[in-house]
Amino acid sequence: MTLAEVQTSAPALSAIALYQSLLRHDAPFILDVRNPDDFARWRIEGRAGLVVENVPYYDFIEDEEAATARIPAGRAVLVVCAKEGSSQYVAELLRERGIEASYLEGGILSWGNLYDRRDIVRAPWGRIIQIARPARGDVSFVIASDGAAAVIDPLRHTAPYRVAMAEAGARLTHIFDTHVHADHISGGPALSHESGAPYFVHPYDAIHPIDMLPATIAYTPLDDGQVFRIGQVELRAIWYPGHTLGQVNFLAVAPDGSRYLFTGDGIFLRSFGRPDLGGKGEAWTPLLYESMTRRLPPHLTDETVILPAHFSTLDEADAAGRVGATWGVVRRNNESLAHLASAEAFSTFVLGNLPEFPPQYVEIKRVNIGLRNPTEAEAEELELGKNVCALAQ
Amino acid sequence: MEPTYHQTLDVKGAKCPMPLVKSRKAIGELPVGHILRVIATDRGSVADFQGWVKAAKNVELVAQETTAESGQELYVHYLRRTA
Repeated sequence: MTLAEVQTSAPALSAIALYQSLLRHDAPFILDVRNPDDFARWRIEGRAGLVVENVPYYDFIEDEEAATARIPAGRAVLVVCAKEGSSQYVAELLRERGIEASYLEGGILSWGNLYDRRDIVRAPWGRIIQIARPARGDVSFVIASDGAAAVIDPLRHTAPYRVAMAEAGARLTHIFDTHVHADHISGGPALSHESGAPYFVHPYDAIHPIDMLPATIAYTPLDDGQVFRIGQVELRAIWYPGHTLGQVNFLAVAPDGSRYLFTGDGIFLRSFGRPDLGGKGEAWTPLLYESMTRRLPPHLTDETVILPAHFSTLDEADAAGRVGATWGVVRRNNESLAHLASAEAFSTFVLGNLPEFPPQYVEIKRVNIGLRNPTEAEAEELELGKNVCALAQ
Repeated sequence: MEPTYHQTLDVKGAKCPMPLVKSRKAIGELPVGHILRVIATDRGSVADFQGWVKAAKNVELVAQETTAESGQELYVHYLRRTA
């Protein structure tokens, strides 16, 4: 028995082309034709004002007229489904009705797995390359200088880092995680295994905070104040407990005096990292307060570029897709930093603004220290959707 | 316990949206009250059939089950035409 696959004349839009248009804020009307449960779990998000509508593809099969009526007239439509087939099917129906419809190539799966690479800085001393997974709001970095490279907070798939380093002509010498992540599976241990370069994390994060079990992965313990050299760049670890017990920030100082803070889930551009993902929110909030008010400030100048590991909304990315801003800008614009006047006020604010705790975050921390070894399908399921590492805005 | 059924639709290997498109057509050709058994390999069909019957005017989802055939998961749906 042969089954005809969907025939469509509708044009395909790639995930990277979609991302470029989301950054420019000129994306078409997005019609997500998955079932409502899948849509509720996660969806394409862009800058504020992006319109995404959910009309399941079977609504078009049941009553094409009524389903089509839910699409705004006179606009180009991008149809999105899980993998691709249903969006081709619906896009074809819409085109037969004279609507300018395209479909997302590879479906929302390819959007979820899109890695985007761009330069934060390209200077005579070297480069800082941002590698982001936009659908998750996850951001990581490569520092390349004089043929050496360090990776900070690498995401699960390692190929984008190998490509970036090859293109920069640099060999991996250091792999850092600012902390053991809860929202995504780290690419650190895999990169270390592939390259032989050491994988650094703070030892306090090598114990699962809820299971109270030690890591089984190979890692090199980080110290507060430890200094590394990546070519011409000096990189200093600053212990910053609060989001996790062992979180560090890395301050990079280039030979031209420019400064870059890889803050992990420390300071976000519009929020900061929540202290409850280890299950100890009340106990860790005072540590976070100390980190934010005493440990970090001596290292910050207004010109220091803050480079966090996450964004919560695409509006945190500039027109060129870079998720970073100088401390001078962040301390003025990040409204959540207005609650640092006293430890008590800070605790009240933090504990009153904790978003839901995604249950899979406990399991992801297990994976990241080697207590679990998920299959590819399980890993994909664990990483579904956008990170929830920031305090509510 | 396998529900009784009157007809079987084999959509093994068919990708979304085809299992549902073909089921819709087959249900329409069935007498009212009869049950169609749909055998699919597309995992997404499980949630999609649940959503579809909520939107559909004359289809009821009697049962769903997952079985295996030579190492491949099969998703079996039992659909009744109600009107």
